[in-house]
Amino acid sequence: MRLQVALFIAACVSPAAAIYPDEVNHVDFHHALIGTPSPDSTFFLKPSSASNASLLYTISDQSILGAVNPRDGALIWRKDLSRAGFPTNKGGILRGSDGHNAVVGAAGNYISSWTAQDGKLIWENKFQDGVVADIELLELEEASATSGARDTLALVGSESAGIVRRLDGNTGKTKWESKDTSGDVAFQVSSSPTEVFYISLQSALLKGYKVKVTALDPVNGRQTRQYVLNSENEIATPESVLYVGANVASPLIVWADKTHKTLKVNVIGTKQVQTVNIENTSGQDIRRITVHAPHKLNSLPHFLVHYVTESGAWAEVYHVDLMTSAVTKAYKLPYLQGQSAVATSNIDANVYFTRITDSEATIVSSASHGILGRWNMEAASTERALHAVSEVVSKGKSVAVRAVVLREAGAWELVRNGQTEWTRHEDLIDAVAATWVEQEAQEALAHELEVEGHESLIGAYIHRVKRHIRDLQHLPDWLKELPQRIVSSVLTDEVTNLDNFGVAKPVIVATKSGRLYALNTGKQGAVDWSVQVEETSQWDVKSIVTRPGEATIYASDGSSATVNVSTGEVISRTAPTNVKLQSILSLEDHSVLGINEDGSPATLFDDSIGFLVTTSADGRVLGWSGQDNKSPVWEFVPPSSQKVVHATSRPVHDPIASIGKVLGNRSVLYKYLNPNLALVTAVNEKNNTAGFYLLDGVSGKVLYATTQYGVDPTQPIASVITENWFAYSFFGDVVDESSAKGYQLVISELYESSAPNDRGPLDSAGNFSSLHGSNGDSPPSPHVVSQAFVIPEPISHMAVTQTRQGITTRQLLCTLPESSSIVGIPRPVLDPRRPVDRDPTSSEAEEGLFRYAPFLEFDGRWFLTHVRDVSGIKTVLSQPTLLESTSLVFAFGGDIFGTRATPSQAFDVLGKSFSKLQLVATIVALSIGVAFLAPMVRKKQVNQLWKAV
Amino acid sequence: MSSPLPPPPPPQWVVALNSPMPRPTKAATSIQDPPGFSSTRGGKQQKQQQKQPTEKKPEETDALKLKKAWEIAIAPSKQIPMNAIMMYMSGNSLQIFSIMMVFMLFKGPIQGLINTNVMFAKFDTPATHGRLYGVKAVYILMQLGLLALGIWKVNAMGLLPTTRSDWLAWESERQPLEQAYFAFR
Repeated sequence: MRLQVALFIAACVSPAAAIYPDEVNHVDFHHALIGTPSPDSTFFLKPSSASNASLLYTISDQSILGAVNPRDGALIWRKDLSRAGFPTNKGGILRGSDGHNAVVGAAGNYISSWTAQDGKLIWENKFQDGVVADIELLELEEASATSGARDTLALVGSESAGIVRRLDGNTGKTKWESKDTSGDVAFQVSSSPTEVFYISLQSALLKGYKVKVTALDPVNGRQTRQYVLNSENEIATPESVLYVGANVASPLIVWADKTHKTLKVNVIGTKQVQTVNIENTSGQDIRRITVHAPHKLNSLPHFLVHYVTESGAWAEVYHVDLMTSAVTKAYKLPYLQGQSAVATSNIDANVYFTRITDSEATIVSSASHGILGRWNMEAASTERALHAVSEVVSKGKSVAVRAVVLREAGAWELVRNGQTEWTRHEDLIDAVAATWVEQEAQEALAHELEVEGHESLIGAYIHRVKRHIRDLQHLPDWLKELPQRIVSSVLTDEVTNLDNFGVAKPVIVATKSGRLYALNTGKQGAVDWSVQVEETSQWDVKSIVTRPGEATIYASDGSSATVNVSTGEVISRTAPTNVKLQSILSLEDHSVLGINEDGSPATLFDDSIGFLVTTSADGRVLGWSGQDNKSPVWEFVPPSSQKVVHATSRPVHDPIASIGKVLGNRSVLYKYLNPNLALVTAVNEKNNTAGFYLLDGVSGKVLYATTQYGVDPTQPIASVITENWFAYSFFGDVVDESSAKGYQLVISELYESSAPNDRGPLDSAGNFSSLHGSNGDSPPSPHVVSQAFVIPEPISHMAVTQTRQGITTRQLLCTLPESSSIVGIPRPVLDPRRPVDRDPTSSEAEEGLFRYAPFLEFDGRWFLTHVRDVSGIKTVLSQPTLLESTSLVFAFGGDIFGTRATPSQAFDVLGKSFSKLQLVATIVALSIGVAFLAPMVRKKQVNQLWKAV
Repeated sequence: MSSPLPPPPPPQWVVALNSPMPRPTKAATSIQDPPGFSSTRGGKQQKQQQKQPTEKKPEETDALKLKKAWEIAIAPSKQIPMNAIMMYMSGNSLQIFSIMMVFMLFKGPIQGLINTNVMFAKFDTPATHGRLYGVKAVYILMQLGLLALGIWKVNAMGLLPTTRSDWLAWESERQPLEQAYFAFR
């Protein structure tokens, strides 16, 4: 008996079986994103001097520092620097030095050094006196000769002062600091082999800035000399300075005048400003000038100036004379139509410039204008290239190049000899909304089935026969495909091709930058198409409504755009209205209803909607009725000056397989099922209480309320409600002897009555009304059973797996920001009826209940993300498939992650251990055996008859 | 398959065995039987001699028949304790053995009930006919007892729809008359 119980418990607990290694990348996909790389801080770097292999390093606009394998675009490691420092909108700065296993990154006031190969922390530092404006690795002759680690020069700028600090390469300790309190804008730090330069912008008397260069002794930081360059006529803002070089024999400061007529060049360390006339022969205004120069100490003092006009670009290469500091023009790269980007790379002292245009990629040496290599671009991109970094390899006379190009749409792609090797869609990190879409082809059958569902038995049968006869026209095609299908189904890894069961539905994702992406979940989330829908940087998408074949995106400004889901083509648009909407409700008939910031409906609605529940900006929950659109029929204001922070309701698709819970003695505990339930979370930040209120959406009646004390309102509070249960989690502190300190997860189940076999006051009534109850107490309050668990880490978002009919047990999907993962906690574990402080009785054990343990450790098998580091997730969505066992899960907000969840295992799919080949082979062998034996047996029987006579 | 061949003609000795003995010739009848040989006629005489006493007392025969009938009627009751122990020991889990045992437990009494009249047909004489009703009633009662044991067992195995949970699938969710739409942030 014991054994049986134990086995039963095991069977109940294990439904969330782990994800097996062979399912990884098959059922799930993950885009590990870092965000749009910043141009100044992206580079190829050889982390080890022993190996020639280099990695691609960057820091993004999200202050995420990442190392990418240039071979396949896989992320090797990444660190979110914005977590440690205070948030900054500038992104970050990243520097590295070839052959040294260290990169130094800074974001906000936080600076840290990481090993380049595997991203381990070497040192970190937090400055209290300002924000890091610039960092540079000090490449001095003496330093490179003695120790492996390069010291870092950090410029910390605040409103009143600029401080240059030399930080030790091994410990991050400050070796010296030089403080400038003149009130200039701390701009950049630069270094030559012998000196350190602090470049600041001194505001001129009338307008503009003068460039002030202060030379410092690299050993002790003492100021050696200081001079000011007259640049106030040209430099209006700090952005006007085009380029400040560093770590070369002759570092440069380059700026241009406002009309783009002349270029001013100063070799840092000299007072002389050289003027170079820009020869604009294109006939168009120059839109952008970029300066590209090598970053290596021993490289030739050459640099390239890239001029971009509206429709084309050209470039000029200049040489600097080391002795006289004279700048001379060497040659010109011709004007070409279309977009182009230029990247610099070094081989020893030689400098190479790679120019990537729409149609081709060319390499030139800085010394002469002869083209060393030219490749036609395989697929011309329509997106503008913003910047590029390249790496050139020379073998004898021939050269090869690989360049990483950042496109305007946020796509980061590696082009090797003209071929696009990989593309990373870094724009997806700003995903704000996503949904699954229905392809048009699938809809025809669904519609037919719906028709059949509504007809009488005979009518439906006739309809089906007719449909099948019509389908016969596809038979020849089907027969033609059959051999191929059989062969592929025997040979492929997966036993059944599940794409027809809706497990490979495309997902469309809207990003903050106004773009829309379609991800193919059947192909590891590959981007099928992407389209710029809105020209904005703050696209506040509130809702995506899908119809078969198309999807409509509604933004908070009242505008909408309808796109074709298979091509991404924008079909129609509506202009924004002047109201700001806080949410958009989509109804069954694909119409939408906007909700204003104050919670009132933006447009009138009628009785067909009936009742509407909204939240207002000032923390109330409002109920509206179709009869009166002007004022709410009820209003929920949480007691004791709490403020509503979150409200959630049951999912739209929330089927109930069984209306009761069968107990061990086979009596029934009836579930409290009311589709109009809303769970409201309210917080009082002053006395650290959090209230959780269960409301009836029609009458506004509070059906259940609970208050938690000692809640930290700054920590995430997540909640979810579905079926007849709800869950919430928060950080609770000790308020009395019996309370626990830590992250807590509370699960509550709602029943119609505390007694089994009792359907509560409404008993066997077929329907109920929240307004016109027979006994005034309507709707009846539920019987609530709750249990709390202490969990190891915070939960930032909760969702529940959804299946087609709700027969499969549900999983509570929790986003864990600290371990960068998503965990699916099986419901049998979270059963509030688990016996406390005693072992379960045999009938309880039969129900699958086991002893309550206050600490709920997340089992490794529950992690849907298994070994993946899925960070920054803000929203997790779940969608049913045609397979009852399988639920689709899609997470976005930072990384993009999608998987299939099978909370009760894939009970309706043939497993991988099922071998079709073996089955077919067995049948064939048996048939052969029968074919051989049948004549033999017949002969024997005849012989027997003859013998009998 | 080939159709079966007609059976071969029976051998001579079989024909001789099956056909009646030819009437002995006059001369043969005159021959005296060897000592110790009893002719068929003599056997018949003996049987008649044995039967003669019972035929003489029909009441006794009826009593005997009734006694025998009672024995048959009571027989199922002897199985009840054994079956009960077996059923108790076999456990309430659904396994192939317990299911087979329960099946046999039902099959026996039901067959017995159907064959009630056949069972007692040989004891049925005009004289015993009236008294046999009681016997049959007891027999039926005993079989029902066995059936009850089977039903008890099936119930213990949880196969009878006697609890609320068995009818849960036929109960439907209560439908709300009003529907609320939620537009939360």
